[in-house]
Parts: sequence; structure tokens; C-alpha cells
Amino acid sequence: MDLAYQYSCLISLTVADLKLTWREKSAWLTTALFACAALLIYSFALDLASGVVVSLLPGVIWTVFLFAGIFSASQSFHADRENGVLDALRISPVHPTIVYLSKTISNFVQLAAIQIPVLLGATVLFNEDIFQINIIMIVLLGTLGYCSLTTLLSALSFGSKSTNLMLPVMALPLLVPLLIACVEATASALDETPDGAPWMMLLVLFAIWTTLISALMFPLAD
Amino acid sequence: MSAINFLFAGFAVFWAGLFTYLIILQLRIRTLRTEIEQIENDQESDDS
Amino acid sequence: MNLNTLYNLRWTVLPPVVGVAITVMAGLALVSAPTEVVEGDVQRLLYVHLPSALASYLSFGITAVCSALFLITRDFKWDAGAQAAALVGLIFTALTLITGALWGRPIWGVYWQWDPRITTTLILFLIFAAYLVARKSSELDNERVARFCSVYAIIGFLDVPLIHMSVRWWRTLHPQPIVSRLDPALPTEMLLVTLFSVAAVLLVAVWFIVLGVETELLSQRLLKIKGRVR
Repeated sequence: MDLAYQYSCLISLTVADLKLTWREKSAWLTTALFACAALLIYSFALDLASGVVVSLLPGVIWTVFLFAGIFSASQSFHADRENGVLDALRISPVHPTIVYLSKTISNFVQLAAIQIPVLLGATVLFNEDIFQINIIMIVLLGTLGYCSLTTLLSALSFGSKSTNLMLPVMALPLLVPLLIACVEATASALDETPDGAPWMMLLVLFAIWTTLISALMFPLAD
Repeated sequence: MSAINFLFAGFAVFWAGLFTYLIILQLRIRTLRTEIEQIENDQESDDS
Repeated sequence: MNLNTLYNLRWTVLPPVVGVAITVMAGLALVSAPTEVVEGDVQRLLYVHLPSALASYLSFGITAVCSALFLITRDFKWDAGAQAAALVGLIFTALTLITGALWGRPIWGVYWQWDPRITTTLILFLIFAAYLVARKSSELDNERVARFCSVYAIIGFLDVPLIHMSVRWWRTLHPQPIVSRLDPALPTEMLLVTLFSVAAVLLVAVWFIVLGVETELLSQRLLKIKGRVR
């Protein structure tokens, strides 16, 4: 396998995918709007406008990100499958792992681009200093682990109806370690709980684990 | 509820679970077998 | 004796052996085993709870192994094995959780405790329930879906240590009410009964999986015959 060729394929596939996503605005716009609406719903449901909210905030933020991520992941292979891109790539010399990696990177960029404004918005809405560098680090790490797993799962080729229904059911139980680690790390960054180091370690471990296993498994699954 | 009732409930659930699985599976095997036999019989009568 | 002749004994040897073993187990657990001093008779639930838990782990392990074999060989008989074992695993996981809750209420005072082992078992149940629903929601001979679900089963099984670790940290880093736990050192008689129950329930699980495989193979055959007729 020619590594330099595969590497250039990775770059061009990622760029092409991002360009296509940018042009096809409906997918990431709905995800962003969903995240905003979910944040609003949570603030009504849990009465975040009054009282001490800082102990609830990590959970609220991460459940919003988790569900918004499912939203965007369920659409991620949609266009490719409809236009027969995946079949074309299968007969091309590009290694399937490269296809998977490019999709993961593209999903990661999309989701991170949505999450950062949501963090900014939450800072303004709840008067808590959420928009800080270590929380952004946690968000990026968590999103990496998240995207590498959901991208693999979204590659499933069920009928168009049940794909969107099955994805959260399949992904959420596997994502329990990620959710726990992200919530706890964010809480410790907000000075709610004392020690965030083990949770950061778990986040890194989860990201490495999901990326490795998905890269290995994708050629078998698709 | 006294403690012995919990013991009784636990064992009842255990045995009920096992037997439900067995009964459902036997029924499924039976319907599958009859369906296969039916199709094979139909084919034989078509051939002759 | 090779594997195939062993498998051919499934109708003649396995059912009576399983029936005798499970009946003897019930007798031993309910009558012969000595009553626990502290907990009383409720402790006898251990003889179905612990074996069920082990049987569910065994079944999910078989699902993962069969899924890997399916990915390697692309032979649908391994897919049938994975599905059958997953269903049996789900049944035993449910039984484990229910008997555990029924034991926990009189002993701990609560049905549910966010203990790492209990929580991991629940998540394991959700993972393999999702696997089975995904696999059953499409045609039996759809190779893409079968491959995908096999990958999911393997990932789900490998995710279990991570889930267990994270839930344990989550609990231990939080303050929690101290729950008096069983002393794990069982007296010899109880240990013997426990070991026998484990053996009996594992035999039941094996028999169930064999029956399940038989059913899956039959439905695959039916599908093939239908395809030929049309």
C-alpha cells in the first residue's frame, strides 16, 4: 500500500466532504438549531434560570452534545450512499480505513464547530464561566471519541427508515464511559468536584480505543 | 412482604423465564417445520 | 469423538441431563443447603442469581466469538449462533437483574443499587438488546447487516471493561451510603451447592443456545427454499 498516496487521498476526501457539507447546509444547520433548542428545553425543564445551576450544567451540556451528535451522525453517510459514492470508493484503490478516517475527521470538525458556539451561548445564558480553555479541551477530546464511534455505527446500511432510529439505541449504551468521563471532567473544571485527572485519562483512553477499533472494524463492516 | 415471599418470587420468575423461552422456541420450531414440509410437499405435487 | 458427533447428541443426551440437573439444583438450593445465619432463607436466591449472571456472560462471549467467526468465514451458521446466544444471554441477564433486585429489597432495603456490577449488567443488556433488534429488523440473509451487527457485537463486548471501569470510578469518587455486603467466604456446603447450580444453569444455557441455533438454521433454510420456489 502506497502510504503517500493514501495520505493524499485522506486529505482530499476530507476536504471534499467538508465542502459538500458546507454547501448542503441543511444537515449541520438542523444540528445546530437542535442543540440550541435542547439547551432551551433543559433550562425550562430543570429551571436553570434560577438558583445554583453549576452542579447541573455539565450534565445538561453533555446530554445536549450527545443527542445533537446523534442527529448529525445519522445523516453523515446519507448523501454518499444516495449518490453511490461509497460503491465508487469501494472499487477505487483507496483503503476503506482512509474512507472511515476522512468521514470521522469531517464529522469531528462539523460537531466541534457547532459545540463551541453552544458553549459560548451557555456561558451567556447561565452566567457561568464555561468558555474556558480546559473545558474546550475536554469538549474536543470527548467529541473525538464520540465521532470515531458514531461514524462507524452510522455506516450501517439498513433501510433508510430504521437507520435513524437504530443509531441512538446502538450508540448510547456504548457511549456510557464517554458520557461519565466528560461530565465528571467538566464538573471538575468548573470546581465542582476535586480531581479531574482520572477522567481526562479515561477520555484519552476512550478516544484511542474507539478510533483504533473502528479503523480496524470499518473495512469488515462496510 | 416477608423475606420468604421474595425467595418465592425470585424462584418463580426464574422458572417462568426458562419455561417461557422453551415454549416459545418449541412453537417457533414447529411452525417453521410445518411450513418447510408444506412447501416441499407442494413442490413434489407440482413435479409429478 | 469429533465435534460433529458431539453436536449430534443434542437431542438424545442434552435434554434429560439438563432436566435432571436443574431439578436436583432446585432441590439442593431450596432444601439441602443450610440456611444462612444473617440473611435467612432469602440467601437461597444466590443459587439462581450467580449462575444466571455467569450464564449471561458465557452467552454474550459466545455471541462475540461467533460474530468474529462470521466475519472471518462469512458462513451464516455463525450468524445463527451469534443471534441465538444473544437471545439466551438477554434472558439470563434479565433473570440476574430481577433475582438480584428481589434479593436486594429484603437485605439492602432497596431494589436497585448503583453498584458497578449491577449497572454494567444493565448496560450489557441494553447493548445486546440493540444488537438483536438491529439484526432482526432486516432480512435474515442480508450479508451487509449481518456483518455490521457482528462488528457491533464485538465492539459491544469489548466495551464492557471500559464501562465497568467508568461506572466504578463514578461510584467510588462520589459519596455513597455504605451498604453492608455479603461476606464472600461461603461455608463449604453452600459452596458445593453454588458450584452445582452454576454447572446446572450453564448446561441449561448451552441447551437453550443449541435450540436457538436450530431455530435460526431452520428459518434460514425456509428462506432458501422460498427463494428457490419463487
